[in-house]
Amino acid sequence: MTALATETGFSQASVDAFFESRNEPGWLLDQRRSAWQVFSEMAWPGRREEEWSRTDIRLFKLDKYTLSTGQKAAAQAPRSVLSQGIHLAGQSTALDSVPFSASLDGRWAEQGVLFGSLDALIAEHGDRLRPYLQRRITNPYHDKFTALHAACWSGGHVLYVPRGVVVELPIHVFSALTDGGADFSRTLVILEDGAEATVLAETASGGQQESGLHCGATEILIGRGANLRFVNLQDWGHGVWHFAHQRALVGADASLQWTIAALGSRLSKVNQQVSLVGEGASCQVNGVLFTEGKQQLTYQTLQHHEAAHCHSDFLYKAALQDRSRTVWRGMIKVNPGAQKTDGYQRNDNLLLSDHARADSIPGLEIEADDVRCTHGSTTGKVDEELIFYAMTRGFTRREAARMIVSGFFQQIFDRITIESVREALGQAIAARVREYQ
Amino acid sequence: MSEFVKVAKVSEIPDPGKRMLEVEDSVVVLFHVGGQFYCLDDVCTHDGGPLGEGRLCDHAIACPRHGAQFDIRTGKPLTMPAIVPTLAHDVKVEGDDVYVKIREE
Repeated sequence: MTALATETGFSQASVDAFFESRNEPGWLLDQRRSAWQVFSEMAWPGRREEEWSRTDIRLFKLDKYTLSTGQKAAAQAPRSVLSQGIHLAGQSTALDSVPFSASLDGRWAEQGVLFGSLDALIAEHGDRLRPYLQRRITNPYHDKFTALHAACWSGGHVLYVPRGVVVELPIHVFSALTDGGADFSRTLVILEDGAEATVLAETASGGQQESGLHCGATEILIGRGANLRFVNLQDWGHGVWHFAHQRALVGADASLQWTIAALGSRLSKVNQQVSLVGEGASCQVNGVLFTEGKQQLTYQTLQHHEAAHCHSDFLYKAALQDRSRTVWRGMIKVNPGAQKTDGYQRNDNLLLSDHARADSIPGLEIEADDVRCTHGSTTGKVDEELIFYAMTRGFTRREAARMIVSGFFQQIFDRITIESVREALGQAIAARVREYQ
Repeated sequence: MSEFVKVAKVSEIPDPGKRMLEVEDSVVVLFHVGGQFYCLDDVCTHDGGPLGEGRLCDHAIACPRHGAQFDIRTGKPLTMPAIVPTLAHDVKVEGDDVYVKIREE
């Protein structure tokens, strides 16, 4: 296959040309133009702002990247890890923000499930998707990155599961980057009342040293009594700038299990929010972070209890190697009427070198008076006695370190019910652990 | 392996004075004090504050966030709350040109 790509930059003229090439309904182009206007007027976030005080983006240069509007050769795409050996209900893939394949098992298409490239499905089912795209599940005007994404998103994925339909097999969405490419993917998952699905969302580069830009959004809407398992693997090259906003709205008596594994990128700044909007909603969020070299991953999480009798449980675990750094800032927010809330958040960090650094900032903002909200954070090094004990049993120092790191993450691996995903994550992390000194 | 990179003219930076620079994959601060040039990472090891925006007093630079001071010659912390050195990079002057070599661990 050959690549046929038209590259454009981020000037007014080139973005206008990008809008023109989209062939989208007027209401959507109006959204894009408004967002571009906001982007043009906003300043880049600075370190004087609390949210960005620990995230240095001075070396990020947007003009190094371009919007891609043409087709890409599938042969350039990296290999997926999450979908190996799994029987899927559907798969949607994109390379450098350009969709290149989508499929859905006819069994679920017959039941009204919509799945595939967001670009293509807007053309076919624009009226059906319009309310969700206009709902602003993530705030397009939060900062300059969200405005840029809202103006320039492309190559995203969408899953819509009608009322009461259960998709038993996992759905796989895959956004990949070539070296120096840009990804503006938007992932939209909608489960109507009583629906069930499992989504494996994966992002990857072709090689660990590759560079690029991801400026994306994930929007999840879960109806009453619906049940979603969402697994997200971020495995960009170590030269990729990753800026993402992710938000889920969980309805009454619905549940969400959201597992995140972040291994790649040069710098990540992720805002992740779960809003429990209906009584009896529950969510469990599991985060696995592994960093090395000079990587920095920043996660800003919010578990927002907007209704009563909801349960939230956030657990983030990070292992850090070399001079890498993580920043985790978590907040449990409880609205005045959200009585009987049960909220928990925890962040554990394992430092594998003397120069790694983990910042952990848990927080509570509670406006109801009959709730249980707890949080905790631990940061420590590998216990030398554990290493010594393993070595007396014949393991090398590196094998011992791998076992300890695996054990550290086991609490989260135990929560992942898809065996192949659990194995893929375990192997990816074990391969990265070097000799611990 | 990092090499010396020309970053400024001697005459461009007053004595005493400082300038923030992007060199290779690092943001650094170049200091000119007492006729000598020094270079540190633009990072306070306490909480990542921008040293280049701090107050320079003799051979000490104070982080604008919490006041931690560092010796611009060595990167060593001089006062709390910083307890870990920040990276000091190699500097050389040839004629009117100042060169910096980014130190790697």
